[in-house]
Amino acid sequence: MGINVNKLEMTLQQFVANASNVQGAAIVSPDGLTLASSLPGAMDEERVAAMSAAMLSLGERIGRELNRGEIARILVEGEQGYGILTSCTEEAVFLILADHNAKLGVINLEIKNVMGELRKQLLGVAQPVSL
Amino acid sequence: MEIMRIVVTGPVGAGKSSFIRTISEIEAVDTDRKATDETAALKAKTTVAMDFGRLQFGKNVALHLYGTPGQERFDFMWDILIRKAHAFILLVSSHRPQDFRYARRILAFMRYRVKIPMLIGLSHADNPAAWPMEEIILALGYLSPYNRPPTVPVNALDSASVANALAVLIEAYAREQVAELSRL
Repeated sequence: MGINVNKLEMTLQQFVANASNVQGAAIVSPDGLTLASSLPGAMDEERVAAMSAAMLSLGERIGRELNRGEIARILVEGEQGYGILTSCTEEAVFLILADHNAKLGVINLEIKNVMGELRKQLLGVAQPVSL
Repeated sequence: MEIMRIVVTGPVGAGKSSFIRTISEIEAVDTDRKATDETAALKAKTTVAMDFGRLQFGKNVALHLYGTPGQERFDFMWDILIRKAHAFILLVSSHRPQDFRYARRILAFMRYRVKIPMLIGLSHADNPAAWPMEEIILALGYLSPYNRPPTVPVNALDSASVANALAVLIEAYAREQVAELSRL
């Protein structure tokens, strides 16, 4: 079974549309390429993907060097809102953008919920195909 | 203790990470990830944020070496790293002429932001397919024989070769400083 990119994008679009205060979401590879995205119009998905990858790799490195263990999440809080990076599968990083009214508890729960679905779709190919 | 920040940049696979790993006194900090783009044909892993290495130079100077990612989608890292740099090295693979134009783009990107001493390091110069130094410099846009940056062949895996490149760069940096002082 391959990854159904349309379905993946659809899941992201639904997530962005339904989760409150979420403005955008993307799934990117650890080396900074977009797998699927639903981002605000002005954002270049290629740049977003590269930045997510750089951020996560630096975060993981900090986690290792400063003995923080495996990194579950990286959060950037700005005046205009949040950017939250979560490691989704071995091959995918999940980014969401939320506005400044977002409640972190709710956002975290939303991420957890959609992550299950994303993992299922992504791992469809990562598992060895038995003939 | 004076800190001198040197940025090592260049196209994918030129040897930037190796360069830093070879000379760093501390265990170099890398941010390698499995490559899934066209880079994968060249190597399994690629830098996605930066490399960092440190080297004591003489008694009073510590060199901080920062390696950039090669792919242009990470150009925000180029920007972050170059702005604080005192000098930079452009590493180019001598045997991949298809990279020269791209190396020139990186050069333009850096030149547009900073006016600092630089060095061109030609890696893989011992490869049978390697271009001669003069032609690579021409391909990088230095048509006139004057005002060219110092250029040296570099074997990124050999510490003597890397140290030599750094020494040439630091010399260029020192010359620049003297020239600046005499202008005052």
